[in-house]
Parts: sequence; structure tokens; C-alpha cells
Amino acid sequence: MKNSSSYTAIAYLFLAPALILMGIFTFWPVGYNTYLAFNNYSIADGTATWNNFEHFKYIAQEELFHNALKNSLLYLLVVPVIQIAALVVAKLVNNKLPGMTFFRAAYYIPVITAISIAGVVWANVYKYDGMLTWLMQALHLVPQGHEGQIDWLGNPDIALYMVMLFTFWKGIGYYMVLYLAGLQAIPAEVEEAAILDGANAWDRFWKITVPMVKPTILLCTLLSTIAAIRAFQEIIVLTRGQADTYTALYYVYDQAFRNYNFGRGAAAGLVVTFFCLILSAIQFRFFGEKK
Amino acid sequence: MAASRTTRRALALAGQYAGLIAFAIFTCFPFVWALAVGLSTDPSNIWLFPRSFWPTEPGLMWFERVFTEMPFLAYLKNSTLMSFWTIVAVVVISVLAGYPLARLKFPGRNLIFVAIIATLMLPSEVNIIPNFITLKHLGLLDSYTGAIIPNFAGAFGIFLMKQAFEQIPQDLIDAARVDGATELQILWRVMVPVSAPSIAALSIFTLVNAWNDYLWPSIVMTTRDKLPLAVGVFNDLTGPFAVSTSLVMAAIVLTVLPVLIFFAFTQRYFISGLDGAVK
Repeated sequence: MKNSSSYTAIAYLFLAPALILMGIFTFWPVGYNTYLAFNNYSIADGTATWNNFEHFKYIAQEELFHNALKNSLLYLLVVPVIQIAALVVAKLVNNKLPGMTFFRAAYYIPVITAISIAGVVWANVYKYDGMLTWLMQALHLVPQGHEGQIDWLGNPDIALYMVMLFTFWKGIGYYMVLYLAGLQAIPAEVEEAAILDGANAWDRFWKITVPMVKPTILLCTLLSTIAAIRAFQEIIVLTRGQADTYTALYYVYDQAFRNYNFGRGAAAGLVVTFFCLILSAIQFRFFGEKK
Repeated sequence: MAASRTTRRALALAGQYAGLIAFAIFTCFPFVWALAVGLSTDPSNIWLFPRSFWPTEPGLMWFERVFTEMPFLAYLKNSTLMSFWTIVAVVVISVLAGYPLARLKFPGRNLIFVAIIATLMLPSEVNIIPNFITLKHLGLLDSYTGAIIPNFAGAFGIFLMKQAFEQIPQDLIDAARVDGATELQILWRVMVPVSAPSIAALSIFTLVNAWNDYLWPSIVMTTRDKLPLAVGVFNDLTGPFAVSTSLVMAAIVLTVLPVLIFFAFTQRYFISGLDGAVK
């Protein structure tokens, strides 16, 4: 038998590729991003000059960033909607009825589609004379003809919600599968006993299903909250920040790769990281209380 | 009494299917429309709903034009290459890292595991600025390597393999050790074959993520002929080719098709793979 010190060497040898790559591309960026936030970085010659809190002072009073942050927080609205819908859909496809494999697949297709490609189709759905306008007119929710045509992605009052609907469409299948895993872990006898006791479907859902998948609900809510705060690829592919759809991370991207102001982008990124950590901490408290 | 119960059950069933179908329409309508528009050689109906959901004068003209008017095959080749090497790297790195975290006792194990898992809480998009600068220093901008290397080591794969290796009975490992197997032999001959389903699930997830990766390649890559599908097709469709919606939709159908075919064959692993990640 080998002693434990030889396992130590082997363990670190096996971990080395992962730790080196994560070191360079995951851990180092956290530190370097913090450093950049306090510097003026020139992408042309790679020099960084100390800038103190100037970037933070700038974004603290910049309306564009305020709006971006506000939009990112507003984006959290998608979390409860997507979670409730995903749980309900998971419940529906969990029944042992013909065709369920088909429905599960149909709901998962948006998940496995590239966001850029899905975005191109949705931009056409959202065209002022596109599918959504037609649907609204067919349901008589807006006037017929030209005056009922809405520029869904160009109107600042609704554009962000339209992007959120895209996020909902793209993500629901992912959470549905997670809930499905949770639902399948519930023993059938529990539900059968409740039926014998005369509990109706509504009661069974709230008194059996929801409590029993609570760990999954908490996990999915956490994942979905972080995803909502991180939302911005949707913005790139649908609106490019037009019509008041700047989110905090889109601001980061825009500052760095359009204005080449890497320092200011990094400072905004640090603020977003801070928000993510606070939201995670809040939700971890829920996890903690449960156990 | 019995009849009314049967009626109620039939109604409930009909209601369930109505809900299921309505939701399937919601998730699939963009693809159905894209397919119908792509198949219509006559584009005059594409903004006439619901008429446009059925192809007008069906033909493959627009699909043929995708290959002549866009470097579609080059994008396809790039996506294939980049996805292949990402899968190889992710599987090898995750298997190697998952084993000691699951089965070996060594100082620092918990710290390393917590540090890896903690990265899930950080918005990885913030890394794009530092990583861009790092790749610039390494001379890897506009290279295939640069476009995929940040995805090689990640918490998801390591966690998934650690979970899989923890399920394996200790007896198997002890028996191999008594036979004088090295740790690498134990990993390769005992752990990996038994964990094949988890490795398959990890490969499938990695493939879909790598195939669909948009943000990072779009930042790193500048040469058009080096772009993967998700970036190249997007750039072309929102740029000069946006003039023809029919062509755009045909290109989208062709881009989504490989993933769909692949998904059709591996569907159940998606579910079991996520299942393993939850537990």
C-alpha cells in the first residue's frame, strides 16, 4: 500500500491541467479584472496607468449605467415566471401518457439552439409587420392595419420585456428537465395515497409536489437568478442596446469592445459580480434554512 | 356516476393535451416558420400569416443558395473541428480532475473543490475582458485555439465526473490496487469504463455548448473563414445577406439541423446527464 504523500503528488498531477487552465482563464481574470477597474488600460500598447476610483465615480453618475443596472434588476422578473411555468410544464410531461417523449423534445429544442441563430428568427417574429403583430391583430388586441403595427424591439416601453420573452422561450426547457428529474424522485405511493384521501389536483400540487421538489426549486431559482443578472447575449443578438435595453453586462461588453475603454468596462463588471454574489448569498440562506 | 367520472377524466386528459400542444407550438413555431419560408421558392407570402406556415411553390432553391452565397461549408468545418477538440479536452481534463477529488485523500482537496464550485456563482462574462488581454499576450487572438481554450476546464464537467466516480464501489479500486495497478491504470481501466454513461452525457453537453458558443468566438475571431457556424451565419445574416429573408431562414434551418439530428439520437442522455448534475 502506498502512503498518503504519494497520493498527494498524484492527486495534484491529475488536477494540474484543470487547475492551470482554470487558473489562467477563470481565477486570474477575477483578480485582473479588479486591477483593470482601477486603471486606464490601453489595448494598443498594453499599458495600464493607475486611475484610482475614477471609473467607479464615472459610472456612479452615468445615466446609461444606471439604466443598465436598473434593466438588469428588472430582468429578474423573468425568474418567477420561468420557474412556475417550467414546474407546471414538467408536471404535465411527467404523466405516463403517449407522446411525452415528443413534447419533452419539443420544449428542449430552443435550449439546444445557438442563441445567435434563435435571435435572428425572433428578430423576424418581432418585426413591426411580423408574426407577433399578426397574432395581436388576429386576437383583436391591437388595431388592424398599419396603426396596429408595433415595432416590438424599437419601442423603449416594451423592448426589454420582448427580450425577456425570448429568454423565457429559450430557457424554459432547461429548467423543465431539472424539475422532471426532481418529480421522478417522488415515490408514486405518496401521490396515490393523497388521491385515496380525496385530495384534488390543486391540493396535491401545492401540498405534495411543491414541498417535495423544493430543493430543485431552490437550485433552479438560484441558476435562473444568476442567468437573469448575466443576461446580455440576448441583447447583442436582438437589440444591441437600442430602445432602453442596456443591461449591466451589455454595458461591460460595449465599453470594452466598442469604446475600447477596458478599465471602465472592468469597473462595471466588478459591480455586476458584486450583485451576483449578494443574490447568491441571499439564496444560499434559503438553502441553509432548509437543512 | 361512473359515466360522469369517465367524462371528467376524458376532459382532464383533453385539457392536458391541449396545454401540451399549445406549449409545443410556442417553442417550435419559429423553426416551423423558418422551414416553411426556406422551402418557399416564391417569397411573396412570407409575411402573410398564417399562410406563411405552409411553403409556397416548395423547392430547395434557397438552401442551394446558402452554399453558394455564404462560406457555409467552411463554417461547418470550423464548428466541427472546434467542437471535437473541445470535447476531447473537456473530457480528459474533467476525468483527470474528478478522480482525485472523488477518491483520493490529499491536503487541500476541499479547498480546491470549493474554489472550483464557487466559480459557478461568478458571472463568467466578466472574464471576457481579462481573457481577451491574456490571449492577446499569448498571440492567440483570431486562432481556433484561442476561441476554445477558455472552455476546456470548467466546474460543470469536473463536478459531473466527481459525482460519477463517487458512485463506484471502493472494492473495485482496492482490488486493482492489490493487483499493483497505478492510479492512472485504475482511472483508465476501472473508473472510466464504469462511468461511460456520465462521460457520454458530458460529451453531449460539451458538444452542444461548443457548437452553439457565440459570444467568445465572436470576440476572438476576426477572419471570416475561421468562424464557427453560430458566429459566421449570424454575422452574414445580420449583415449583407439580410436582404433576403428566405435565404436567412434557409441558412438558419441548415444551421439548426445538425444539432436537431444529433439531439434526436441522444435525447435521453440529456435528461440523465442533467439528472446526474442535480444530485
